[in-house]
Amino acid sequence: MTLFEAQPGKKYLVKKLDMEEKIERRLEALGLTENSMIELLSCKRGGAMIVKIRGTRFALGKEICQAIYLWGDNNEK
Amino acid sequence: MKNELTVGFIGNPNCGKTTLFNAYTGAKLKVANWPGVTVEKKEGVFCYHQHNYKLVDLPGIYSLTSYTLEEKLSRRYILEGDVDVIINVVDASCLERNLFLTLQLIELGKPVVLALNMMDIVEERGMEIDLHRLPEMLGIPVVPVCARKKKGIDVLMHTVSHHQDKPIGALEHQHAKGDHCHDHHSEYPIVYSDKIEDLIDAVTERICAANKNIINHRWYALKVLEHDSEIMEELNIDFSDIVPHSLEKEIINQKYDFIEEIIAEVLMNKEKKQQMTDKIDLFLTHPIWGMPIFFGIMALIFFLTFSVGDLLAEWFSFLIDGVSSAISTGLDLISVAPWLKSLIVDGIIAGVGGILTFLPNIFILFLCLSFLEDSGYMSRVAYVMDSLMGRIGLSGRAFIPMLLGFGCTVPALMAARTLENKSDKLRTILVTPFMSCSARLPVYVLFSQMFFPKNAMLVAYSMYIIGPVVAIIAALIMWLFTGKEKKPALLIELPEYKTPNGRSIAIYVWEKVKDYLTKAGTTIFIASVILWFLLNFNFTGLCDMNESFAASIGKLLSPVMKPVGLSQWQIVVALISGIAAKEVVVSSCGVLFGIPNINSAAGIASFGAILTGMGFTGLNAFCLMLFCLLYSPCAAAIATLGREANSQKWAVFSVVYQTGIAWLVSFLVFQIGSLF
Repeated sequence: MTLFEAQPGKKYLVKKLDMEEKIERRLEALGLTENSMIELLSCKRGGAMIVKIRGTRFALGKEICQAIYLWGDNNEK
Repeated sequence: MKNELTVGFIGNPNCGKTTLFNAYTGAKLKVANWPGVTVEKKEGVFCYHQHNYKLVDLPGIYSLTSYTLEEKLSRRYILEGDVDVIINVVDASCLERNLFLTLQLIELGKPVVLALNMMDIVEERGMEIDLHRLPEMLGIPVVPVCARKKKGIDVLMHTVSHHQDKPIGALEHQHAKGDHCHDHHSEYPIVYSDKIEDLIDAVTERICAANKNIINHRWYALKVLEHDSEIMEELNIDFSDIVPHSLEKEIINQKYDFIEEIIAEVLMNKEKKQQMTDKIDLFLTHPIWGMPIFFGIMALIFFLTFSVGDLLAEWFSFLIDGVSSAISTGLDLISVAPWLKSLIVDGIIAGVGGILTFLPNIFILFLCLSFLEDSGYMSRVAYVMDSLMGRIGLSGRAFIPMLLGFGCTVPALMAARTLENKSDKLRTILVTPFMSCSARLPVYVLFSQMFFPKNAMLVAYSMYIIGPVVAIIAALIMWLFTGKEKKPALLIELPEYKTPNGRSIAIYVWEKVKDYLTKAGTTIFIASVILWFLLNFNFTGLCDMNESFAASIGKLLSPVMKPVGLSQWQIVVALISGIAAKEVVVSSCGVLFGIPNINSAAGIASFGAILTGMGFTGLNAFCLMLFCLLYSPCAAAIATLGREANSQKWAVFSVVYQTGIAWLVSFLVFQIGSLF
């Protein structure tokens, strides 16, 4: 699944990023590395989402959310 | 020891570098609570224990790669400039993410001192940081500070002076992972996996063999492993046999692995308390209510600007009235030449005095905007507006410069620097002047009160809606023209909400008020004097106003302005002079129509009577406001626009196309309005 399909209020582990290399490296530098934790705080119809990565909140556009792949639901694991 | 030590302030965006810089230098640089406030390098001097320090405040960066403009500039400055010591300012409440840049800075090979800022917030949240363990693991001194309360800043500078020659101190740490055969653990805080360390050694060997004048081999080697384009070009050595592909991903991952080790050891009680920010965000970034709430906040800001501002303005105008009549009587008493009295009373007092009465409105507007900027809401606006901006091919981030445009176009244009994509940046720059800046406010206040006494606020409000609407349509058209480029993805940090800080607000508002007063004393003063001369002279010397230079210019252009309902030559002249600064439209009216205190009840009444006598109606007044809203940016904005767009061509373009749009929109409104 991608972040875009995730549910608000839940925490997930990142499986991989699959986007333009430039943005991918930037996100990694911000701490969104493989197997790191990402918490989806809220999302809206347009597709932008608010996530928490290593204690910091970020707003991410739809294009980015659709390219962040997650391991299934962390709460159930 | 060198006489002067250059100290660079580096850190993530919004971690308090500028606050710290202000605390040392006494400078009054703008600080606020959103990432990207500082876009330019600023220097200041500070003396401590008979030593001079040159402090350099740099734009915030998340990492030392060469992906964004700020990163490139800051990195180049540290590498090439003569920075002796780096102060890495770190937001202690987001230690984990901030340490990434710290590790990169340490690898640069220059002395680094870690300033742990915002320790008060850490304590507030019940977290604790082990200040003994952290320096052991990083090998650099760590000094807790609180820039806002100026705590710990002497200790920090003391540490800098003692640390200037020692890049890495004692390290007491063994990595959990990997067992590299080299004895690196006592040399570098972060030791990578065996594979990467071996590659670093191989690359270092080749760099040394090439005999380049390089000191920090390890950093260069790492950048080669990351295939950093700038460094590869600089070295100009072929490494393709050693590092066929970029290892940047691995290097980033391993840095974060190490950071996790650090956090596990030094940070206690992580996220124990429920955070206020999440509760506030529930409302302000609500999927449905987020946008209406934003519009509501903006409406409230302008309501306060007009209502409270006007209330204060009344008192203010009494004061100005008193002063101007006192000067007038004084001039009579010392019996100065009539022309000089006319220059002072009809030129300077009418122009400058008239403009001063709007100060309360401006004050309230900037006070509100500073609350908005200092609270942490600005980044949320980017999120809330992202979907709307997406429809015109821009990211929500482009809305920040536009929103700042309600204050003043010049800093708003500069804020567009943080946009990464060139064409988005250009489009944002070209539409930002449509946002109604504070300088246009006097025009609305004056004319809406004069012609729409009952609906003055509503009419003024409409300008704040029409401006953004025109901006959005213009951006849309440009987007269609450039072939509907892919929308850039939104990526912005959302800082914690903070109670706005009294000091930063005071700095912000005072700087704006000072700007306004300075403008009244310089641009508006000079414009009023020049206008007075143009109004009272022609080639034959002193003359009647109707035959003056100004009248000739106005009458020449009046046919062009007739279809938009602004055919009076005085109005045409006022509009032309308004390019100097938008307030000048109002001050010029004072001079042109000989009205001393234009914003007072008496001034409005007499000005209104003159205009009505010329056949000027409410519709004409509305078109005048529209025209002022949309036409050419002011001189300062034109200059900034040319600089930010890297080409004077765009500055000229903006003058022409904005004036064209202003004419077109006012034309439509005037012609359609005339039908009824």
